[in-house]
Amino acid sequence: MRLTVRHLAKAYGLLWALKNVGLDLSAGEIVALLGPNGAGKTTFLKLLAGLISPTTGEILLDGSNFSRSAAVQRSTVGFLTPGEHLYEDLTVRENLIFFTSLYGKSRTIPQIDGVLQEVGLHHRSGEYVAALSSGMKCRLSIAKWKLLEPGLLLLDEPYGVLDGSGIDLLETFLKTQSQKGKVVIIASHHVARVLTLCTRAVILHQGGLTFNEARQQPWDSFTRAFGEFLPHGES
Amino acid sequence: MNFLNQTLLLLKKDLILEVRRRENLLTMFFFGTLLLFVFHFSFDLVPERVVEMAPGLLWLAFLFTGTLGLAQLFEAERGNHCLEALLLSPMDRGALFLAKTAFNFILMVLVEIVVIPLFWILFNLGSWDIIPHLFLVVLLGTIGFCVLGTLLSAVTLKARARELLLPLVLFPLMIPVILGTIRCMEAILRAGELGDALPWLRLLIGFDVIFLTVGILIFDWVIEV
Repeated sequence: MRLTVRHLAKAYGLLWALKNVGLDLSAGEIVALLGPNGAGKTTFLKLLAGLISPTTGEILLDGSNFSRSAAVQRSTVGFLTPGEHLYEDLTVRENLIFFTSLYGKSRTIPQIDGVLQEVGLHHRSGEYVAALSSGMKCRLSIAKWKLLEPGLLLLDEPYGVLDGSGIDLLETFLKTQSQKGKVVIIASHHVARVLTLCTRAVILHQGGLTFNEARQQPWDSFTRAFGEFLPHGES
Repeated sequence: MNFLNQTLLLLKKDLILEVRRRENLLTMFFFGTLLLFVFHFSFDLVPERVVEMAPGLLWLAFLFTGTLGLAQLFEAERGNHCLEALLLSPMDRGALFLAKTAFNFILMVLVEIVVIPLFWILFNLGSWDIIPHLFLVVLLGTIGFCVLGTLLSAVTLKARARELLLPLVLFPLMIPVILGTIRCMEAILRAGELGDALPWLRLLIGFDVIFLTVGILIFDWVIEV
C-alpha cells in the first residue's frame, strides 16, 4: 500500500479545517499524526477514510485516485475509533459477523472466536456490546480490523481507554500491520507513546502541515517543531 | 458481496435490532390505533359521508404513524457513529437506501395489517370483500411514502430539530401519493373497483418506480457524515 496526498484541503463553510496538505507514504510506514486540538487531525483522517469529500486536492491509493464513491477502494481503508462503529444491541460476535460480511470477507465462527481470544474477549462473545466497558469496546474494534485487514489503517486517539495489556495488544497489532506492508496513521495526543511506535511524524497546525519527517535518532528537528504544543510532563 | 446480499444483510440487522429494542413498531402501532379512536370519536360519520371521509382519515393515520417511524429510521446508526462505519465499508450506498426503505415498509405494513381491519369495524364500512383491493392500493401508497420518506430522512439526518423538519419537507412532496391513494380508495369503497381512478393508480406506480430508482442512484450524494 502506498498513500499519496496532494494539495488536500477541506472547508466547512468559510472555515478552512485543512489547507494544502501534501504527503507521500510508502508501504509499512507507521505515522504519528500530531497537533493541538482543532489542528485538523480528525478532518484529515475522515478525508483519508472517504467519509467526507475534500474541497480541493486528491488522495491516491497505490497510484489510483481515491474517491468516496469507489467501493473497492473503501474496502482497503480502515478507521479505528475506540468504542465507536459498533452496534450496541448486537452481540460481540454478531458485530464481527456483520462487518466481515459487509466487507465481503466472511469469516467462520472459529476464525472469529480465534481473534476474540487474541484480544481477550472470547468469554464475552455472546454479550451485547452495550454491556462492555470502553476498553473492551476498543479491544473489539481491534478484533474487527484484525479480521478485515485494511491496507491503510487510520486510528483516532486509540490510547485513551486501553489498559496496559490493551495497549500492548494494539501496538503488537499495528507493528504486524506495518510488517505486512500496510500503512498506519495514528492521531494521538499521547505523544511519547506514539513516538516509540512510529516511523514518521507529521504535525498539523491550524489546518496546515508544519512538519513531516521520517524518524531519526536524535530527533532535534521534531523537538523544535513540536515544542510549542508539548504538554507539561511530556518529553 | 452483491447489491442484493448487501441489502438483505442490512435489512436483517435492522430487523434484529427492532426485535430486540421493540421501540418503533410498538410506538407506531399504538399511535396508529390511538389516532383511529380519536377519529372515531371526533367524527360522527353518517353512512352517506363515510365513503368520502374514510380514505382521507385512514391515510392521515398512516401518514402520522409513518412519520413517527421515519424519525427513528437512522437511530441505530446515530448511536456510536455506526453510520460512519457503514459509509466506511465497501457496500453500495444504494443498498443502504433500499434496506432502510424495506425496513420502514415492513414496519408500516405490520401496522396496517392491524389498523385497516380495526378502521373497518370502527367506521362500519360494510363488505369485507374489498379489503384486499384496498390493501393493494395502500401498499402502493406505503411504498411511495417509505421511498420518499427514507430519502428525506437521510437528507435531514444532520439537521437540528430534524423531527420537526422532516414532516415539513415530506408532506408537501407526498401530495401526489396522498391524492392518488385517497382517490383510488374512494373509488374502491364506492364501487368495489378502481373505475375512473385508474390514472391515479398509474400515478402511484410511476411515483414509486421513479423515486425508488432515483433514491438508489443519488443516495451516495445524499448521505454524508
